[in-house]
Amino acid sequence: MIAQTSAEFLKIRSTRTTLGLLAGMIALLLLFVLLTGLLATAQSLSDRQDQLGLLSVGSLAGVFSALAGIMLVTSEYRFGTIRPTFLFTPRRERVLVAKLVAAVLAGLVFGVVGEGLNLAIGTVILDGRGIPIALSGGDIAVLVIGTLAGVALWGGIGVGVGTILRNQVGAVVGLLAWGFVAENLLFAFVPSVGRLGPAHASDAMTGIDTDHLLAPLAGAGVLIAWTLVLGLIGLVLTLRRDVD
Amino acid sequence: MTPVVLSEALTKRYGTLLAVDGLSFSLEPGTITGFLGPNGAGKTTTLRMLLGLAAPTSGRALVFGERYAQLERPALRVGAVLEATDFHPGRSGRDHLRTLSRAAELPDSRVDEVLRLVELDGAANRRVKGYSLGMRQRLGLASALLGDPELLVLDEPANGLDPEGVRWLRDFLRAFAADGRTVLVSSHVLAEVAQTVDQVLIITHGRLVVESSLEQLTARVGGSVRVRSPQLVRLAEVLEHKQISTTLTNDHALLAHGTTSERVGEIAFAAGIAVHELAAEGSSLEEVFLGLTSESPS
Repeated sequence: MIAQTSAEFLKIRSTRTTLGLLAGMIALLLLFVLLTGLLATAQSLSDRQDQLGLLSVGSLAGVFSALAGIMLVTSEYRFGTIRPTFLFTPRRERVLVAKLVAAVLAGLVFGVVGEGLNLAIGTVILDGRGIPIALSGGDIAVLVIGTLAGVALWGGIGVGVGTILRNQVGAVVGLLAWGFVAENLLFAFVPSVGRLGPAHASDAMTGIDTDHLLAPLAGAGVLIAWTLVLGLIGLVLTLRRDVD
Repeated sequence: MTPVVLSEALTKRYGTLLAVDGLSFSLEPGTITGFLGPNGAGKTTTLRMLLGLAAPTSGRALVFGERYAQLERPALRVGAVLEATDFHPGRSGRDHLRTLSRAAELPDSRVDEVLRLVELDGAANRRVKGYSLGMRQRLGLASALLGDPELLVLDEPANGLDPEGVRWLRDFLRAFAADGRTVLVSSHVLAEVAQTVDQVLIITHGRLVVESSLEQLTARVGGSVRVRSPQLVRLAEVLEHKQISTTLTNDHALLAHGTTSERVGEIAFAAGIAVHELAAEGSSLEEVFLGLTSESPS
């Protein structure tokens, strides 16, 4: 199992796709943090909720972590490397578990880079503008741990989605359409159901807006459940389906 | 002794299409077997079932007496290449092999060994997108050889190779089998593998139509040899005496049927007959192969 996980992690590292995703994530993050931090009025950055908002931008790393997870599976089907992969490890459950673990580890890297940059730049901006930090040590602990865990789990969700759909474009479009459109609509109209979606569960993990979202630990439980359920569906399909 | 490959009534159905229909055969160690048939005959489907990539509808295919997925560390027993293009274009050849060697728990030094073996060490750190088809074929072969396997399974390995590449592959497979190891190589062109294999399995419409040694096939299909000689009539008599039938052509040559140029040459030499021209009718084996495989299913 360690051998397979190491192989999968090397697959993530050995193409430029991952670097491209990291670069895209950093660019988007800088854009959001700088725009919010520099353009918003001091008034609208003063209270706890405002500051949690500014410092949880790093959770958008979850999108990129999920894309990396999707690529780890769908590029194998797209380029046919799934054949040598299964020839070398014919017990497909081992391959899938290895991909899940490797994608979660890669997601952790995305989370550390994303949330690290977010915290560093965000606090420097607040400090520079003379806005006092309204967050407690507990707030920051929940924010950091929740964001890292959430971003890491999105890597596993990406593997699940990619395994189920196999088609790269379909999986990417499906993930983005669900995360940015469908789940937001669901949350807007039926918040009690919408907050159980993976995007809102991972938002909840950062500790923001617990009035409408789940509590951070409940959010973590829901996101883990999503990861496991998608992975399990992917596993059943992978064991049943022939490889062309 | 357990056959290296054993296929028993192997069957694969896709909806109403019977892609592989009750295929039974076995391979002994040290043999090079050509797995032949036109495109769509079911060759690749058979190989995929043999290698655990596709599940048979019924019947079974075993390697070394076990289902492929049951093998402990299969890369050490079986090396296989199903498509020459199974690479991520953005990954280097060496990294491609390293992902596989890690999965098989082989050292990175083995990666460099197989790269040297297929003469790709110079290009190993370049991304695969810059590789020619011949280089990709060799990288695929390198991946199959990583575990130093006892059985090599190659699907259409000569596709896209230039004549030099085909000769390289032929020499390589000969040397591989000379060690007592086993090769199963598929092709839709008999001529591509005729100089490499020592036995053939020919399938069409998913069914086995011929299982024989290459010599038997040559004899059976009536491959003919064209020979010119100042003593044509005497040569014809000598050949007939050896149970080789002959016909005279319009341009005063003799066609000896169901034999090889080596045999005709030896018979003529033994009889002291001068030979001015001696040529195997190269296409005849291919023609009969086409005849065998284009028959409509009964």
